[in-house]
Amino acid sequence: MLKATITADIFRDTVDALSALVTECRLHFSETEVWARAVDTANVAMIILSLKKEAFSQYEATTGEIGLDIAKLKNTYSMMGKASDIRLEHPDGANKIEVTFEGYHYSITLLDSNTIKKDPNAPGIQLPGQVTISGSELNNVIKSAAIVSDKIWFAIDPDNKEFVLYAEGDSDNIKRSFSAGEVIACNWQQAKSLFSIDYLKDMGKVMSHAEKVTIDLGADHPIKFSFEIAGGNGQVEYLLAPRIEAD
Amino acid sequence: MLFLNFAELCSRLEKISGRLDTIALLSETICSLSEEDLPHFCRLILGKPFPEWSGQKLGVGPNLLYEAVAYVTGKKRDEIIDRLSRVGDAGAAVEDLLSQKSQTSFFTVELSLSDIMAALLEISVTEGGRSQKEKVRVIQRLLSNASPLEGHYITAILLEDFRIGIGDGNLREAIARAFSVNPDLVEYANQVRNDMGEVALLAKQGETALQSVRLVPFHPVRMMLARQGTISGVLESGNPVAVEYKYDGARFQFHKQNGRCRMYSRRLEEVTAAMPDVVTLLNDALPDDIIVDGEVIAVRDGRPLPFQTVLRRFRRKHNVAEAADAITMLPNLFDILYLDGRMLIDLPFHIRREKLCKVAGNFVTPQLVSDNESEIEAYYHAALDAGHEGVMLKLQDSRYTPGVRGKDWVKIKPEADTLDLVVTGAEWGEGKRAHVFGSFLLSVRDEEKLIPISRVATGFSDEQLAWLHDTLQDDILRKDGKMVYFEPRLVFEVGYSEIQKSPNYEGGYALRFPRFIELREDKDIKEANTTEDVTDRYIQTHKVQNES
Repeated sequence: MLKATITADIFRDTVDALSALVTECRLHFSETEVWARAVDTANVAMIILSLKKEAFSQYEATTGEIGLDIAKLKNTYSMMGKASDIRLEHPDGANKIEVTFEGYHYSITLLDSNTIKKDPNAPGIQLPGQVTISGSELNNVIKSAAIVSDKIWFAIDPDNKEFVLYAEGDSDNIKRSFSAGEVIACNWQQAKSLFSIDYLKDMGKVMSHAEKVTIDLGADHPIKFSFEIAGGNGQVEYLLAPRIEAD
Repeated sequence: MLFLNFAELCSRLEKISGRLDTIALLSETICSLSEEDLPHFCRLILGKPFPEWSGQKLGVGPNLLYEAVAYVTGKKRDEIIDRLSRVGDAGAAVEDLLSQKSQTSFFTVELSLSDIMAALLEISVTEGGRSQKEKVRVIQRLLSNASPLEGHYITAILLEDFRIGIGDGNLREAIARAFSVNPDLVEYANQVRNDMGEVALLAKQGETALQSVRLVPFHPVRMMLARQGTISGVLESGNPVAVEYKYDGARFQFHKQNGRCRMYSRRLEEVTAAMPDVVTLLNDALPDDIIVDGEVIAVRDGRPLPFQTVLRRFRRKHNVAEAADAITMLPNLFDILYLDGRMLIDLPFHIRREKLCKVAGNFVTPQLVSDNESEIEAYYHAALDAGHEGVMLKLQDSRYTPGVRGKDWVKIKPEADTLDLVVTGAEWGEGKRAHVFGSFLLSVRDEEKLIPISRVATGFSDEQLAWLHDTLQDDILRKDGKMVYFEPRLVFEVGYSEIQKSPNYEGGYALRFPRFIELREDKDIKEANTTEDVTDRYIQTHKVQNES
């Protein structure tokens, strides 16, 4: 059972964070939080998302899970004002979720959660490098890199104290170096990996709203982006597997 | 069974050249399969995930596949298309691409044969506005978990381009050997059930199970086919034969049970909705619980119209009622396969005919029974005069053998200077035809391969060229200058004046003055003419010329 009220902004941010990677997922809820863990169809990108009960203006739930069709949830956006309060209701055993706001009442059929890909385990990997920068700057670099290439290097250069994003295209390339003064924090541990911009573009749009994004990075290892949503009452982690180029 | 084992088996089978070795390996594998895997295996090894009668289709074109491969490998679409054009075979190209994929993933899941089947089923039932996206998603899921070799055969299955040299014949022998049953019984059961998957399960139960197969309404069987021949040849036995008009129409099978009717085309696609007028006629005329075989012809002022007129109706999905008013469609019934809970295909033809006449009255094809050559010839000329294609000669004591092109039915028609050829490529046109294809590359079948034999540039209307241009877009495999090459799907009937020896085409023959006659939408590429047919015709004509 889930009965909760949430502002339109947080509702949208949460759904958008999921839809950057998946079209459907399993949403779990307990007395204290809702969470989801999902992987894209190619097992390349993963999202781990949680919202504490404090993110809601009203929250009441017993432990359960539902299968969400994310495109259908997004259909509710069009009629949703910025400051609307969104009422979500899922009685135990029902195969629908009721979304109510400003006189609108959407009754959305749920997916059979047995047909949705299993929740992935978060890979147990140690990533030595860690850097924190602003979400909007991160998104800007990803957007500009997308113009010249389909892949981008993320690197921490401890010698020059630089965090470097570098995209090499067929004829042009783009490099953005963040000096120690430009990053919010960095542990200056050596790290360098290559990633697909296709995946990063959708994640970047979501991360652009975050004041700060913490990036965990290794050498030819996955990357992890962590940031807050819902004014600190929610947490999102994106994990992306690297590209390994044969030389 | 793991799909990887299946893929490895396919790869081994492709390399075996001897028929006996192929059958031995196949039967050994079949023996080892579980009840669940056995039917899936037998269908997939023939490259057909679903029973032929079920009408289920995947509907995956090369473009969907490119999209999924690009996503999984982290390569650009252009790179994918480029690789494909260099490798030539889509399966081999995908294998190649997957082995060099630069995008890593968090984990992969081992694919089993039933995982693959579940995914294929998901693809086939997906419909509506988001169906293309959904299909791509399923293919992405499969390919991201697939090894390169698995990717090879997944691709071949998805594109319905699965060619590892296993046909019904080899599979039949392998099933028979695996379960120690008579191959003829396996063949018989497959004729009736039209699904090697189900037949394999029956074979596992034993010969009694194979013998007791029955026809069921709404489970269509393949049409019995005829060979080309001569009147004198058929009369050699000395027995009278049944002579019927050979109609220039579209073959169909009509099923009725509990007041529900369905009509199937020669390729066993359901055409009930496209032919409401014919269905109503037959529903009114026929008793319940029946399966009949016939040909529908288009008639205006009592004379048959060309075959395309009928096919246009078969194809139609919209404005069916309007189309039904414009032309009269007339069903002609010539066989009955099932009546009142009884399967009739094992009865002699003349008995089936009696039963058909009793229940179908007006719609039964006229018939002459004779052993007199000149009488039959006169009947043949009367058929031609009435606008029909020729006549069919049928042995009076013959069974109905679904899918078999045997000696029991013989077609007599004017010397055909046409071939059914597979469209494998096209060249962009010039001038007035600048935005459509101006000529098409046509190929004959040579066992599993397709060998170019001719190009055809004449005989098309502007509408046909525009339509072909649109419908072929999704089939484009690769481009090379002004040439494009297609995933083989369409069959053209092409007329010609002569078959010549030619160094210009791989098969060693070329057609003189080829012209497009019609699109044979009722034919599958497996029904196109073969190199053997072409060689036979070449030898025939040159023999005649030498004799004269």
